[in-house]
Amino acid sequence: PFPREMGWCHTLAAGTLLIFSFSCRYMYHVLTKNTTVTDHNRNLLVETIRSITQILIWGDQNDSSVFDFFLEKNMFVFFLNILRQKSGRYVCVQLLQTLNILFENISHETSLYYLLSNNYVNSIIVHKFDFSDEEIMAYYISFLKTLSLKLNNHTVHFFYNEHTNDFALYTEAIKFFNHPESMVRIAVRTITLNVYKVDNQPMLHYIRDKTAVPYFSNLVWFIGSHVIELDNCVQTDEEHRNRGKLSDLVAEHLDHLHYLNDILIINCEFLNEVLTDHLLNRLFLPLYVYSLVNQDKSCSIRDKCSFLSPVILNGDLSVFSSKSEQDVQKNSAKSSIRCFIKPTETLERSLEINKHKGKKRLQKRPNYKNVGEEEEEERGPEDVQEDLDKAKGTECSSKGVKTSGESEEIEMVIMERCKLSELSISAVTEQNTTDEEKSAAASGSEISNWNRPFLDMVYKAVDCAEDDYYALFVLCLLYAMSHNKGMDPFKLERIQLPAYHAEEKSSYNQVLAERLIRITNYAAQPDGKIRLATLELGCLLLKQLVVSKSGSIIKDVHLACLEVRIISGLFFLKGEEIFLDMFEDEYRSMTIKYLMMDASILLPPTGTPLTGIDFVKRLPCGDVERTRRAIRVFFMLRSLSLHLRDEPETQLPLTREEDLIKTDDVLDLNNSDLIACTVITKDGGQVQRFLAVDIYQMSLVEPDIARLGWGVVKFAGLLQDMQVTGVEDDSRALNIIIHKPASSPHSKPFPILQATFVFSDHIRCIIAKQRLAKGRIQARRMKMQRIAALLDLPVQPSNEVMGFGHNAASMSQHLPFRFYDQARRNSNDPTVQRSVFASVDKVPGFAVAQCINQPNPSPLSSPSPPSSGSGSTGHCDSVTASSASTPSATQSPSGTKSLHLAHNPVKNPEIETANLSPSLIPAQQPTISLISNDNTDALSVESLTLVPPVEPHSIHAFSCVPPSSLPSDNCTATEEDGSCRSQPADDDEQ
Amino acid sequence: MSYAYLFKYIIIGDTGVGKSCLLLQFTDKRFQPVHDLTIGVEFGARMINIDNKQIKLQIWDTAGQESFRSITRSYYRGAAGALLVYDITRRETFNHLTSWLEDARQHSSSNMVIMLIGNKSDLESRRDVRKEEGESFAREHGLVFMETSAKTAANVEEAFINTAKEIYQKIQQGLFDVNNEANGIKIGPQQPAGASSGAGAGSRHGAQGSGDTSNCC
Repeated sequence: PFPREMGWCHTLAAGTLLIFSFSCRYMYHVLTKNTTVTDHNRNLLVETIRSITQILIWGDQNDSSVFDFFLEKNMFVFFLNILRQKSGRYVCVQLLQTLNILFENISHETSLYYLLSNNYVNSIIVHKFDFSDEEIMAYYISFLKTLSLKLNNHTVHFFYNEHTNDFALYTEAIKFFNHPESMVRIAVRTITLNVYKVDNQPMLHYIRDKTAVPYFSNLVWFIGSHVIELDNCVQTDEEHRNRGKLSDLVAEHLDHLHYLNDILIINCEFLNEVLTDHLLNRLFLPLYVYSLVNQDKSCSIRDKCSFLSPVILNGDLSVFSSKSEQDVQKNSAKSSIRCFIKPTETLERSLEINKHKGKKRLQKRPNYKNVGEEEEEERGPEDVQEDLDKAKGTECSSKGVKTSGESEEIEMVIMERCKLSELSISAVTEQNTTDEEKSAAASGSEISNWNRPFLDMVYKAVDCAEDDYYALFVLCLLYAMSHNKGMDPFKLERIQLPAYHAEEKSSYNQVLAERLIRITNYAAQPDGKIRLATLELGCLLLKQLVVSKSGSIIKDVHLACLEVRIISGLFFLKGEEIFLDMFEDEYRSMTIKYLMMDASILLPPTGTPLTGIDFVKRLPCGDVERTRRAIRVFFMLRSLSLHLRDEPETQLPLTREEDLIKTDDVLDLNNSDLIACTVITKDGGQVQRFLAVDIYQMSLVEPDIARLGWGVVKFAGLLQDMQVTGVEDDSRALNIIIHKPASSPHSKPFPILQATFVFSDHIRCIIAKQRLAKGRIQARRMKMQRIAALLDLPVQPSNEVMGFGHNAASMSQHLPFRFYDQARRNSNDPTVQRSVFASVDKVPGFAVAQCINQPNPSPLSSPSPPSSGSGSTGHCDSVTASSASTPSATQSPSGTKSLHLAHNPVKNPEIETANLSPSLIPAQQPTISLISNDNTDALSVESLTLVPPVEPHSIHAFSCVPPSSLPSDNCTATEEDGSCRSQPADDDEQ
Repeated sequence: MSYAYLFKYIIIGDTGVGKSCLLLQFTDKRFQPVHDLTIGVEFGARMINIDNKQIKLQIWDTAGQESFRSITRSYYRGAAGALLVYDITRRETFNHLTSWLEDARQHSSSNMVIMLIGNKSDLESRRDVRKEEGESFAREHGLVFMETSAKTAANVEEAFINTAKEIYQKIQQGLFDVNNEANGIKIGPQQPAGASSGAGAGSRHGAQGSGDTSNCC
């Protein structure tokens, strides 16, 4: 079929070709007849141009002979002719659109060559359109962009003329680099990047020699102006009113930095050279680094810098390692003109003159100086001030006097080291290195702290007894420096700031470590003014500082200083129900993203949520937030402390997925309380299930066909998130909703179960309700106990609540549920079964109890059976067993209960194996119902979870029962008390 | 050429899902996809009418620029609306939606209206992604959903216009700061009287479209 189809296609194509070549001729005719555009023929012309485009595209895809005709007749001449007649925007727009479409859709290189082969496209590019018309502007720049996407080593020759030094596509495009319309600016950036990407040496040389200086100096100026505006915005901010504008400016600035990064990673060596030279000497040094000296003012800019780092992170500029002393020399020689200066000519003019180097005169100084000084007055003495005086002295002299003496050099080194490195242009750092080496060699001594004012200042700023406004920036900076791939590890080594991937280290920067530790200490204090973001970054840095591949190398002294305990008074809501939910919710929502891209941190820290600033980036407001904050601080410090001690986290999160009963788990429900019910879901579905309540969860099971007395979990949900309500007109029914807590701040909690449970009678219903309600309370209490132990909160006299006083040892074998997951389902080997729980050598809950009882327990050191080890499920269960059992003994309303439940667990396996007859309907029979209906009802509330010690007489009771009816006595009392009317076996009972 | 507002759109999605064809289909109907020609364009503008207000749509296709982080980033930020397009005959384009969306949400203003589009609905026989899947993805992520065909023009008009309506609504609700052009919305220049005649590229197309295409064959 294939060849035939092709043939058919071919015929069709031939047919269309005929039509097309006919219409081509017709259109040619139209064009020749209408060389002058008038109101009357305008539409006809536009239509003709459009049709020609369509035919050309068809030709590109089907038959290139169309192009011959097009070329032969010089159709582009007509286009140009039409354009040049000032034929109005309508025709202009149509023509540009047509050209767009044409170049966008031509896919064959040869077709493209055809179109480009005369210089007409370049003539169209340089045509003076009416750029004040936004539509023409948009179509024009899109046209250039489309062309730039077609650039490669071959096609570039159609645009760049080596002999005339013309590259209209590029030079015309960059004239719009600061166009007020953002989409136009973006298009210009795209075009430039597409040009730089083409690896054509003559073209790139042209770019560098004739255009790079004008373009880059203007670009740098443009960026710098934005930074100044941004800074003004921060400075003049009152009451955070500038936030909207600020975030736009920050985004804009980030765009610029991304753009610079994109240029740099194209890795065109000599372009990068010019660019980094401009960046360094006209932007980073004069505007960013020097401004650092005036501590206050720099803040905005400083963290700008920090922004920068992650941005340019990937800047792989190894090329620059080849840079030699000579470059450095050049650089330091130039240091006298390290000013942020506006280029004297407009870009356009510079391009025209093709000046290699536009003269930069200090015509005005819109640089940091002005801003900085008034700032100083405004802010007065900042803690850093004294320290900086010296620095400023040298700094000023270096600038003012323009000597490049030794002192200046060192100064530069330091500055660069502190600041520039984070600017993360490794070109810069590369230069630093050499610079530094040189100066180091010259001075012949180590650079001591004495002449490291910038570094000092950085460290000083980490100190945040008052607030962490600056500290956050510095931490960002340090973090960015250490994470920047472009940074030379050696350089970081000098300030003992290890790169995050550093393999080995034997010592660490103690000064910094101590300051970081101090941050953690402040954070743990009642009135600590540390924002969560600051703390988190501090913790990250500290970990990075002292943890190497082989483990933590932190000194004990320092470790001891780490404060993990939080004054319990900080947990304002600790007594309230909501505390547990908050605790778990906060645990889920840790981690801060995109910190440095957020404009809001530029403004002084604030406490009120009314600003719309993220919780983690401001101080808490009100008790709820203060509690949240305290909880988070606790999590971070705990994790930090564990990490530094190389200890695993065993306590958190409180509920671990893997410890929970999941759908399709198979549980051993022998001895468990089960209540039969009909579950009616919202959409009207109805299923028969048995309701079982475990420590933390309630589950709906159906009998396991393979094993009697076992059940397959069809649904499991956390008791703590459950709501139970009665149904008004049906005393046998309950409405049950279980919400899954939101996993991220963006998602809402949604109900994983929303159903009506209908029980066989209202007694069963009440039992279920009680059991669930109690279970919920128990589950929450359990968790609260664990939290209390973790947080070192005073515990309410809870012995009887949790029953720790109970001899739990005897309990450990009576696990409420024993379950296997799917994988283990087939193993009948009792030893396997045992082994799951075999690890219960320590009494679960006991440890926690101990914690609680100790006056000053260290949460870290307390073994935490519930979640440790592989048999964690078993542990978990056993905790319940032990804890839950107590209430029954001590506080259960009806004292009779405990007997009820007591089956002989030990016997179960035997019985089970003995009685097993899989063909029988499993477990439905209410064996014991005759014996003690009343009793069971009364006692049942806790029965599921509580497994009291085996009592002889209860065993008795049971042993008499089995003969009566049931295949297994593992359809225990529970089974009986919950058995539903709907089961066929019910009749027997009666 | 007066308008009350100008909305900037971007079109995103994997390559080959028909973004530029959708764009051309919307902005210039005269390019009917005849003779199995697939024609697209990277930029287009058109006037529409919502609530008796002239609204100009400017649509930028970001194709071919994905390799530059700075570019995609900026595009997202400067747009008021985004059409997120996948191809119903290629499942992988549907699977990539999540990462597109993540990008969009990260870089754009939170008010950006995103419309999910399953394109190539004319190729029913080769369908690889069920309509319900698109619907549920949209529901889950709070997007408006529509299946379109750039070829037959089915729903193309609606896709662009509904997006505009939603943006317009948000403006009415005060969610967009129309004075801040960084949002991708611009207030039109002062209306010159009686300039409506020559302008309406959009209105013109409708009338001429069908006739012209038949002519050229």
